[in-house]
Amino acid sequence: MAGQSDPNLSLFSAEEVEFIAEDEMVEIVPNLRMDALNFICGDFGPFFPQMATQVPLWLAVALKKRGKCTIRPPLWMSVEKLTQVLEAERDSQRVFEQLPFHYVEISRLLFDHARDDIPDVYMVRSLVEDIRDVRFHKVETNLETLNERALALKINNLSAMEVNIVRPFIGRALQAFYKHDSPELIPDQERISDRRPQVANNAARRHLRR
Amino acid sequence: MANYYDIDDIITQEEFVSVIFQKAAGGVGIDPSSETDSVEVGSKVELPFWLAHELQLRQAVSMNVPACFNQKTRLEIQADSACVDLRSRSPYFYEFGCKIAPLVADRTIGPLLLSAFKSRYKEVLTKAHTAAYPAASKHLTILTKEETHLYEAAQSSMAAFKKWRMGGPRFQRASILGRKRKSNE
Repeated sequence: MAGQSDPNLSLFSAEEVEFIAEDEMVEIVPNLRMDALNFICGDFGPFFPQMATQVPLWLAVALKKRGKCTIRPPLWMSVEKLTQVLEAERDSQRVFEQLPFHYVEISRLLFDHARDDIPDVYMVRSLVEDIRDVRFHKVETNLETLNERALALKINNLSAMEVNIVRPFIGRALQAFYKHDSPELIPDQERISDRRPQVANNAARRHLRR
Repeated sequence: MANYYDIDDIITQEEFVSVIFQKAAGGVGIDPSSETDSVEVGSKVELPFWLAHELQLRQAVSMNVPACFNQKTRLEIQADSACVDLRSRSPYFYEFGCKIAPLVADRTIGPLLLSAFKSRYKEVLTKAHTAAYPAASKHLTILTKEETHLYEAAQSSMAAFKKWRMGGPRFQRASILGRKRKSNE
């Protein structure tokens, strides 16, 4: 599946990633009575006032815009939890904390449409921004260890948007490294003598593979 | 020819290589220093790569290592590769190197390219995702084509993300909407 917007930019645009994120489930508390909705993606409802229920984010946002529900922010979107995550992110240079795959998009959508439902929205917002910055900086430092022996990258717990940002760069960089490491250009003897000292160096590369 | 339609590949082949003729050639005006329209054995001429390559296949010429891979460049790359102005040497430094290395039988070009790219890659990486566009423009002028592509890939994806984060119009009108009527009239 490829993105539709701009084939040169990256596979997906930010808006497309957001679109995918809208399928994530959130809990809402409706304030109307409504029969169950039957969609291709599943059946949701029936809705009763003050009875919490699970719906996709896009439906939650649509209902919220019409003033028909309040959205319960996900558990990870609390000040305590996010402070914890931020500290853990800062402590470790290599490991990425476990956050929802679409945390950037979900938080953005909720900040845009459901500000009044999130307690301490300013605090939460700046925490999410900080976490994203710290994580992105970590990705960059990790990428510095990229070299011609890396055929692929594995970074655990990276979120959809973060992957999407670095995708074009990493793709091109890996391609370039692969090209310059072709056996036609690097003679075999040289390769062997080149490899030896890098046995120790291998450890540095492994950091990316967690 | 996998890259037959690749414009970068075509321009790469326009780079000049100095060659020494092994056979005499008559009726060609490719040697500007020659008074007649012929080239003598042993004369040194600068030819574009595509021509030199074809002539070498016919064993009419032998190629020298081009100027952009000379000793001076190598020393500079060893000293501080990130600051070397590779674009003025050849905007297609890496691609050209990859093409020329097997032909001139110089086994040091391959490792040179790899080590140069490896260290310059780090510089591109640190600048690409963070630096504001005007601030980095000076750094851009020394990058080769390949590095510029890499840099721009990172820049544009970061810019697209920032644009998305800042918001703006949430809905875009599809380009096909509102056209139908016009074509009827």
